[in-house]
Amino acid sequence: MVNPVYIIAVLLSVSFLLGLFRKPGSDFARLAALITLAFPAIVSVSWLLQFLGEPTSPFIIYTAGSVPPFSINLKMGIEEAFLTSAVNILGFFGFLYLYRTFKESGVSAVVLFLVLVMGLNVVIMTRDIFNLFVFLEITSIALIGLIFLKKDINAVSAGFKYLIAVSVISTILLLGIGFIYYFAGTLNIDDFVSKNSGAVKGMSTAVFLVIIAVLLELKPFPANGWGLDVYQSAHPGISAMISAGMATASLFVLYKILPFGAVYWMQIIAAVGVITFVGSNMLGIAQKNANRLLGYSSIGQIGLMVGIIGFSPMLGKHLWMVFFGLFISHFLAKAGLFWLSGMIGKENIKSWSVLRKQPLLLIAFGVFAFALIGFPPFPSFFGKWQLVMDLAAHGQFGWIVAILLGSMLEGVYLFRWLGYAIKLDVEADQKLDLGIEKLIPVGVFALMLFGASHFAIENVPGGLTLNLIPVYFILLLFVLDFLPAKIKNSIAILGMAYYAWLLYPSLQDDTLRLVFAGIFLVGGVLTLFAGYSVKGKRAGFYPFAIMMYAGLIGLVEAKNLLQFFFAWELMTLGSYVLIIRGKKSLVHAYNYMLFSLGGAYLIFLGMALSVAGQHGLSLSLLNTTHFPGWAYTLLAIGFLTKTAALGLHIWLPGAHAEAESDVSPMVSGILLKGGAFGLIVLFLAMGAEKAGGHPLLYALGWLGAITAVGGNLMAVFQEDAKRLLAYSSVGNLGYILFAFAFMTNVGWLTGLTYSINHFLFKTLLFLAIGGVVMRVKTHNMYEMGGLIKRMPWSFIAVLIGIITLAGIPPLSGYAGKWLFYNAVITKGWYFQGAMVFFSGTIAFLYCFKLIYSIFLGQEKDKFRKVKEVPVWYILPQFILIIGIMVFSARPDLVLKPIGALLSQAGYFPTDPLTWENVTASTNLGYWSGYKIMLVIGVMFVTLLTWLLVMSRKAQKVKQFNIVYSGERPFTPETTHFSHNMFAPYYKALGFLTIPVVTSFWEGVNSTAHAFADSFRKIYSGNGQTYIAHILAYIIIVYLIIF
Amino acid sequence: MELLIKIGFVLLGLFIILNWGLIMAGIIRKIIARVSMRRGIKIYQPYINLIKNYSIRSQLSHGVMFYLGPVFRLSGGVGIFLFMPLIYGSEIWNNFSFTGDLILIAYFMFFGMLGMALGAGEGGHPYSAIGISRGLAQFTAIEVPFTLALLSLAIQYKTLSISEIVAMQQGGIMHWTLFTNPVATIAAMLSFLGAMGHSPFNVVMAPQENPIGPPTEYHGTFLGVLQTNRAILHVIEAVLYMNLFFGGASSWLELLVKSFFVYFWSVFVGMVFPRFRVDQSIPWMLKIPMVLGILSIVLLIF
Repeated sequence: MVNPVYIIAVLLSVSFLLGLFRKPGSDFARLAALITLAFPAIVSVSWLLQFLGEPTSPFIIYTAGSVPPFSINLKMGIEEAFLTSAVNILGFFGFLYLYRTFKESGVSAVVLFLVLVMGLNVVIMTRDIFNLFVFLEITSIALIGLIFLKKDINAVSAGFKYLIAVSVISTILLLGIGFIYYFAGTLNIDDFVSKNSGAVKGMSTAVFLVIIAVLLELKPFPANGWGLDVYQSAHPGISAMISAGMATASLFVLYKILPFGAVYWMQIIAAVGVITFVGSNMLGIAQKNANRLLGYSSIGQIGLMVGIIGFSPMLGKHLWMVFFGLFISHFLAKAGLFWLSGMIGKENIKSWSVLRKQPLLLIAFGVFAFALIGFPPFPSFFGKWQLVMDLAAHGQFGWIVAILLGSMLEGVYLFRWLGYAIKLDVEADQKLDLGIEKLIPVGVFALMLFGASHFAIENVPGGLTLNLIPVYFILLLFVLDFLPAKIKNSIAILGMAYYAWLLYPSLQDDTLRLVFAGIFLVGGVLTLFAGYSVKGKRAGFYPFAIMMYAGLIGLVEAKNLLQFFFAWELMTLGSYVLIIRGKKSLVHAYNYMLFSLGGAYLIFLGMALSVAGQHGLSLSLLNTTHFPGWAYTLLAIGFLTKTAALGLHIWLPGAHAEAESDVSPMVSGILLKGGAFGLIVLFLAMGAEKAGGHPLLYALGWLGAITAVGGNLMAVFQEDAKRLLAYSSVGNLGYILFAFAFMTNVGWLTGLTYSINHFLFKTLLFLAIGGVVMRVKTHNMYEMGGLIKRMPWSFIAVLIGIITLAGIPPLSGYAGKWLFYNAVITKGWYFQGAMVFFSGTIAFLYCFKLIYSIFLGQEKDKFRKVKEVPVWYILPQFILIIGIMVFSARPDLVLKPIGALLSQAGYFPTDPLTWENVTASTNLGYWSGYKIMLVIGVMFVTLLTWLLVMSRKAQKVKQFNIVYSGERPFTPETTHFSHNMFAPYYKALGFLTIPVVTSFWEGVNSTAHAFADSFRKIYSGNGQTYIAHILAYIIIVYLIIF
Repeated sequence: MELLIKIGFVLLGLFIILNWGLIMAGIIRKIIARVSMRRGIKIYQPYINLIKNYSIRSQLSHGVMFYLGPVFRLSGGVGIFLFMPLIYGSEIWNNFSFTGDLILIAYFMFFGMLGMALGAGEGGHPYSAIGISRGLAQFTAIEVPFTLALLSLAIQYKTLSISEIVAMQQGGIMHWTLFTNPVATIAAMLSFLGAMGHSPFNVVMAPQENPIGPPTEYHGTFLGVLQTNRAILHVIEAVLYMNLFFGGASSWLELLVKSFFVYFWSVFVGMVFPRFRVDQSIPWMLKIPMVLGILSIVLLIF
């Protein structure tokens, strides 16, 4: 192994040597520096590999020929190896990124860069605090020199402020070090600890000065204006070095000097970190400048890692895993984002849409953003997971809430930004700086995130139980994204079908899960069929579609909480990208993401509460939680964000309506069942029948009923066909929630029947309407009309769909209604039940409006030549119709085994539904789907035949041949009664649809932004103010401690 | 063979109900005329109308759905008949009520409504659509007190089977739901006013402003089918209320008499009260009738 001291030696000597090549822009100097920078990277990585290969004791380097405390020593342990590897890799790629910039700035900048990297190495490795101080100074000075690289007034002024701030901090640090030496007689960290010098009288002040200085170096909120200004004004390549490199070293310094402090420092450090995380992200939400926003995000993330260091006593042996997860994500993503910012070269985050010119860069942006927030499979997901679990184990729920709040706020701005990049128009004259030397670092860092993910999965407890086959399949689809859509579609369908085949044996006996697996996988395949009608590549569609389905199926397969949450987040991520593909989906996808993120964090918190005080990760821990009230409520609200219960529904209509034609059925008919399945898992955990009288369930029952009425009523007043269906989904999910909240045998059968039906008819309707919308290119129903003649197949599909939706016998919707009545009466929830029934009659209004306005009434001139929707849309619809028919005639095929499972597994043994051949009966009544269908079928055919005989000579007349003797004087537009069809109804009941919920959330939004906007005014840009902040910060922390 | 006999009796029952519907319609129109100081039609006028419509030779169709609309409508009426037990204690006159209970009938009402709405919709006449939108809107509110009353009945009798509900009302007039659960009965009878479509709830087909509403475009055989259905439906809906609230019928005569009076209730009210607009009828239904419905449940729970 190469002695790590050579890292310093080589960097230092090359820096000196380069002084000989003073000629500005010397190519040789730059090349030499680049090659030189590869050296420390190779050395560190080789050390890291050695440590990873076989755990050996750290390598200590003694300088000046004697042992400490008489000389300085450096240490190369696994921690140092990892961090120097990070810093040196960053150094290499950071330099590569700046390669062209250095041509203009000359050799001195190159030298400064080498010195910076060298300084960071020493700061990480040294065990001597004075040496530490010296090299912190060296790195700071090198950095300031590099900040001045960008020759504009803002950079210079920011650099100057930085200089002043760092000098003040250094002075405090130096004072502290002086005192330490005075009291302890040593400057060596290990020596200090072994002598137990912390106990010396007066030492606490000395330690205070050192720790506070290091904390200030890490830019704690709100004494960090100087740092923000630098992030904003420096060259993004340099900001990347500060955010990823400098922070790495400083964090490790904090970690190294921890043994100095008494235990109470831990809480202070944790508080400083978490407050920084929350505060910084809070202020970030109002920020529009890309680099400054990255600054907020950097400071926030670094704050979180400071917090982790503060939590280290609680994390115990998980400390490094947690730190690794969050650190590596921040490190790679933030460097990558700053680099991207440099390539874009514009300040406003809206300019990032230019990334669309280079899709790979857009993907990189997405990868970085998702990694920062902590979506799977990125390491931060696992880091945050373990952090929260460990904090929960120690009962630190306040911290968890704060951390999740901070993450949520980070999501607010990162997803707005990502949305802009994906959706906003590209400014015509805008160019991307696409030098190869810039592309390589971004690409390498994005790829390294995946490598790091692998490492994180292996090291997080429970990580090896994750089923990664779907994840690899998704990656494969990314790789194959260059293929035509039709081929990828086939691959996706085959993949899902194969997975279904693999999965079936394991779920065969668990009919409850099997039903949902069926909805997810069969539904997935059917909805993908529609994709065959898309021409071209459909770039980026399939990986995310499969990701959503993988997440959904993962929920069903999950045996432990980590698997469940991993799947949940995977589903959210995939569906978000699917939704945002719609033309006008920017805002809606953003809303969806925020609600999903909020919901996910509530679920996360609920899980953390559930496992607190228990061992392991198994899903069954939910049953035995020590905090049932809180845990169940949080989990329920979390799941309700996905089922769009009233109050949490505002994301749904837009998201479903504006999605692409074949995405709407995916996210409406199928995705929503993910939330329903979550509720099922929760309710079973609550103890099934025993929990029947739980107040939470009672509340959810009412919420379901109110949601049903609200959703359906809002659907009635829509003019947009897809919005109508979307609101109808809100209402239908209200039924489902209501039914599951019964916690009785028949109640759950109702819920499952509703779930299956909703899947069948909503997928069918969205496919049909999506196809129509695709042909007529408008969502407004009143613009359509009379399309039955052009699209008879779609008409039949919609007809079957609405009959099922409305619950009219003989189709399976009626099965749900019948079960529903029995459940309501058995349970005694009469008034809620009456409300749900009322919502069912409301459904008629929009069902009629939907089918009439589109297919019946007056045909418009402009649509006289539209064609039937593509066969690839029709095919899955008719498969679904077959499904409806089978389920209608033989509901016993599905409901009987589920009923048996519900009673026999002990979930709901009381008052089961009994089957006698095809007739179902309860204590109250009976119904036979098969016989009803037979009777109605025979009767219908008989009557039809009779009418055919009676009016066999009926003459087909033209459109306007109505009672005015064919002299209707108006246009089809004015004859088609559709717009504002239910005006009197609105007059009577419209007051119930006043959007109070939307106003509420808008209020929350504007309050948060206004707060962020006014609070960030403390960053006045004045250097003196910043110093005052620093001093005030020191005093406040001092007062808190002493 | 057994099935054939069953079908034979079912058809016979249907025949009786249809004729009774036509005669009843004639009688009632006669009564209305006399109350309004007119001579009125002959009692057998509905038969003449029906025969005339079925014999009209010119038939116009606006398309498949237009054609199917009346079929749906008549299937709806006949279907309810098929699922309805007619005479208490008679196996023969129970029709196909073994396939489903009260809920089936409550929901099968929608079958005809929906089909009719779609058929009329394809006719393309705005009056049809206006009529349907009014009818559906009003219907949502009308169903509320009825549902509450049904729930009340289900709590009271602990069953959803119509035959059993009838069985439990046997043994004297005081056992009728009318007396054992008067609040629910009142709520349901107020809802019945709306369901029958007489004034004040007849804005759907209001002749003066919206010429006959949904069936505007229908004529000839199609109209004949609709009229047939109306005759059946009026009787059978009255039979439903009779079964639920007035002790059912143990003979055909009882059925005919009771159904007449149940139906007559809506005519009687219609003669006295003027027409509601939709935005008036909905709040009306959601006030006193709904409160009565809720009360009928509350009284049973507590």
